[in-house]
Amino acid sequence: MESESQKDITDYYKHLSLFWTDIIHLMSSKPQALTSLGPMRAFASNSKKISTELIQINENLMEFNKYVTEYYKQLSETWSEAQKKVNLKAPDVPHDVEQIESFKRIWIDIFDNDFTELFDSEKFGENYGKLVSKELELTKNWHNISNVILQSANLPSKEEIDEVYKEIHALKKRVTKLEIELKKKKAIKTEVTKNEK
Amino acid sequence: MKSETKFDPKIIEEMIKFSKHVMDAPKLVSAPDEINLEITPHEIVQEIDKTRLLHYKPLTDKQHKTPLLISYALINRYHILDIQPEKSWVRNLLLQGFDVYMLDWGSPTSMDKYLDFDDYVNGYLDSSVEFIKDESSVEKISLQGYCTGATIATAYTALHPESVKNYIATAPVIDGWRDTTVISNLAKHMDVDKMVETIGNMPPEFMYYCFSVLKPFEQGIEKYVNFFKNIENKKFVDNFLRVEKWLGDTPPIPGALFRQWIKDIYQDNLLIQNKMYVGGSHIDLKKINMPIFTQVAVGDHLVSPECSMPLHYAVGSDDKTLKIYPTGHVGMIASSLSQNKVLPELGNWLAERS
Repeated sequence: MESESQKDITDYYKHLSLFWTDIIHLMSSKPQALTSLGPMRAFASNSKKISTELIQINENLMEFNKYVTEYYKQLSETWSEAQKKVNLKAPDVPHDVEQIESFKRIWIDIFDNDFTELFDSEKFGENYGKLVSKELELTKNWHNISNVILQSANLPSKEEIDEVYKEIHALKKRVTKLEIELKKKKAIKTEVTKNEK
Repeated sequence: MKSETKFDPKIIEEMIKFSKHVMDAPKLVSAPDEINLEITPHEIVQEIDKTRLLHYKPLTDKQHKTPLLISYALINRYHILDIQPEKSWVRNLLLQGFDVYMLDWGSPTSMDKYLDFDDYVNGYLDSSVEFIKDESSVEKISLQGYCTGATIATAYTALHPESVKNYIATAPVIDGWRDTTVISNLAKHMDVDKMVETIGNMPPEFMYYCFSVLKPFEQGIEKYVNFFKNIENKKFVDNFLRVEKWLGDTPPIPGALFRQWIKDIYQDNLLIQNKMYVGGSHIDLKKINMPIFTQVAVGDHLVSPECSMPLHYAVGSDDKTLKIYPTGHVGMIASSLSQNKVLPELGNWLAERS
């Protein structure tokens, strides 16, 4: 019930924000057109994207916090379980250098084993995968906001730069193939010339 | 009556000694940045994009006829194979009379995010092999792949068996489903499409995270405590800093290559099932029909033996050797065991076939 009411509130603010952003954008588009070449024009026309992204960021952050909380919960539970095992295995306070050394060995071995077991587990892998995925969505939100700013300064967006990289990569591949073919043809020609002589 | 706890005064003495070592450390040792990791003399004979082909200067009057090319891993740099003279893999092979080349994959930038398996296998590695064949006037060379570099070398050897006389697979990443390491668990749960689409190349920071979960307390605490304890031991400190510098130098992995890597090796496990394609060409491990020498380490926590060993059984070669060593991933290539056992055994095997 509680999560549904939370969702309602989020949806309400999402709608409210988009409504006013749209209205302000429509109302201000005519005066903006007067300065159609200035950076603020491009920025203002894309400002809706920023508010949409900010709302999305908020939602993603909530999800991210859920997974990051689970992440640290798993770590702290493993820590206390490992500490209990250490206490059972070495209950006495070490009094000399040798005892400290063996206590340290026990502590490290138990902690390494328990944490490796955690990192190897399905529950850790699954939560970690979701955590990274949310982190990537937040990165994507940030990229989208940056693109609005880049476009307002007449600079290429990340996607446009990626297109160039892709094109360069494809061209390089074609050139390499052509070079190999040329090399083969040259080798055949040299062979033929040799045989003719 | 209160029970009195008596502490050995040696504890205080040890603590004071340890603090002194921490304070003295900057005076006694060089900063990792000041350490040069390129030890054995070499020349750069070919450069393509960010990759470099290194040719080591011979250390013997006579060399075996067939040159050896080492395809190092994509994680960290090749320096671990030449970390210091007494533990250098490269130097040892040179002293055994081999003509050694190393392929340095370099450090890809954002611009290289579309480089894929095909570029690495049929581009960079093939160009290096062709260069060496021309340079040495041979029709075939010996190829060694280490870790992820062995996966690339395996794909290459299956696609171009006519160019490989002998193949050495050292801790190769082959059977992702059998891999029991933490890295494999993280890889299986990764949304790699989203990752590559959003950030492009695999950043070094992510690789550091993956390493930090491997034996976190041994590697994160004990290792550094030992470093300060041994701060007056020049040899120990030099070796420690070299390895640390190497560990801290992880280049990004091109996005497209990383995507195929995670999907084909760890998630769908296509390579060992003979279902993997590189640049449109089918990788059939049965086509690896030349002599093959597979080396695995029992204590390998980066690439488990179960992940590497299936290569030995999957290839089409009649002349095949599998060696299992009682060490770890790095111990197999840069330790006294590697110098005294792993390399002499490899050298004998390779000399008979070179």
